[in-house]
Amino acid sequence: MKFDAVVIGGGAAGCAAAGRLFDAGMKVCLISAGLTMEDENTDPWKENRALAQRGVTVLRGDRATGAVLEGDRVLSVQTACLDDEPLCARVFVLATGKFFSRGLLSDMQRIYEPVFGADVAYLPGRENWYDPDFSAPQPFLGFGVKTDAQGRVSIGGKCIENLYAVGGIVAKGAAEADMDVIVETYAGK
Amino acid sequence: MQESNISAGNLEQCLKCNLCTLVCPMMAVNAHYPGPKKAGPDGERYRLKDPQYYDYALKYCLNCKRCEVACPSGVKVGDIIQAARLRYAGHNLRDWALANTDLVGSLASPFAPVVNGVLGLRPVKTLMHSWMGVDAHRTFPAYSARKFTAWMRRQDQSAFRRFVTFFHGCYVNYNYPQLGKDLVRLVNAAGYGVHLLEKEKCCGVALMSNSMGEQARRQGAVNLASMRKAIAAGEEILCASTTCTFTMRDEYPHVLGLENADVRPHLFLLSKWLYQKMESGELSLRFRSDLHLKIAYHTSCHMQKLGWRNFTLELLKKIPGVEIVEMEQQCCGIAGTFGFKKEHYTYSQAIGGRLFDEIGAARVELGAQSDPGFVVCTECETCKWQIEMSTGAPVMNPVSILALALA
Repeated sequence: MKFDAVVIGGGAAGCAAAGRLFDAGMKVCLISAGLTMEDENTDPWKENRALAQRGVTVLRGDRATGAVLEGDRVLSVQTACLDDEPLCARVFVLATGKFFSRGLLSDMQRIYEPVFGADVAYLPGRENWYDPDFSAPQPFLGFGVKTDAQGRVSIGGKCIENLYAVGGIVAKGAAEADMDVIVETYAGK
Repeated sequence: MQESNISAGNLEQCLKCNLCTLVCPMMAVNAHYPGPKKAGPDGERYRLKDPQYYDYALKYCLNCKRCEVACPSGVKVGDIIQAARLRYAGHNLRDWALANTDLVGSLASPFAPVVNGVLGLRPVKTLMHSWMGVDAHRTFPAYSARKFTAWMRRQDQSAFRRFVTFFHGCYVNYNYPQLGKDLVRLVNAAGYGVHLLEKEKCCGVALMSNSMGEQARRQGAVNLASMRKAIAAGEEILCASTTCTFTMRDEYPHVLGLENADVRPHLFLLSKWLYQKMESGELSLRFRSDLHLKIAYHTSCHMQKLGWRNFTLELLKKIPGVEIVEMEQQCCGIAGTFGFKKEHYTYSQAIGGRLFDEIGAARVELGAQSDPGFVVCTECETCKWQIEMSTGAPVMNPVSILALALA
């Protein structure tokens, strides 16, 4: 399926991004792992639904599993359900959040971003990830993807031209994407 | 992904976050049901120690798989519950009769007018309610006097050079051959001939829900063997029902232990196959422009789990002049044979209540209160029975809508 923009992650940041791009006249796909809650006032599920009603293609209950890149550009992403139907777009926004939403995964040695394998800023050595004092500020909460000044993600040290990050996935101190810049660069073309 | 470990269904990955409990449709209406977390990964730890811990309230699970869709940790909550029911729960005569769709269909079909008449009689319904436990509110879908397979045998498909294989399922064969005929017409219009499987058995979903795992496994093995032959001949397998599709793609390996990795990528819902063929330019269809349908699209639970509803929606949007409103993605409450059992009827209707209200509201929103052009669209046959009974709105499979729209 072809879109102007694919937003990966249907939480607060992803919904805001999808809404902004849609309002700029772009054809938007939002991949959201969430399902409907009984309580209709629980954001961001309510927001997912509102976006779908406005015309955003919301893939609810699905999650991105991988991407196809060419040089320094993302061409498409795949999801768990659409493993043979690539979602193609000109610009991609990564908004998958941190650990609980599986934006970041960890094993004994490393912390990584599973969809693109994007560069993650974190402290080496597992013992440095957390403070044994439970109520102390926890270092792992500041970990996230590295971005350039425009909020673009890098893979293997190379900036990916059309992959932006917003929300909790962005490392502490790194720049989040400015949606106005994305709209300026990609909308209406 | 952290999805490999030693226990079936990924149970160790459960963080006890209770998102599954929050989305479970049964949980919202039935205090006797322990909920997916407790019935699934929590209960499984006990059952592994001692089968006596099996809780008979697991019968309330709808097998809608919404818990699995919601789980952030990849725990196969629904599969764990389903597997436990297959291992520990029993079934009675009623469950056996409801689950054996193939056998009952074959017996009923030759006497369809009589059977349909008798099953609709009030005294018969009352008797079935009190003796068998089939709820008197329900009417069995009418049996067709002529099976789909009998009709299909007379269709000459020899003019085509490319073929697909159609898994018709019990509902098309015994109850509603028109859906199968619509599919054949649509696929023929797309330039493909239709073959049937060498041997087709019920996909087994009703058997699984009624704890008849062995029989389901045998039938699944027959289906897979026939599908492998079709695939070897270069044909994709198409289904019209989300439930059959989902069962054969995902429950065969996860619940029945039937290896299907070679078949799975060739098993399609018609809308997915058609969309991908049209998008790749391999075929095109022309639709008429005078079909002014107003469609309320209902995502069945298994469609939700498959994640393919956009294929259907995108295809429907290609028909000029149709208006589509998407219903909120929630369960209609019938869950196959579940809703036919009298002890489940009130839960079934309580779960579906919000959807029925929404369909009513959509009808008003589309300005179609008295318009014959209003239709609810869904790929699941049991959702169709439930929605037709509970709202009075006609329900069509998108296959039939697309066939109707052919120029």
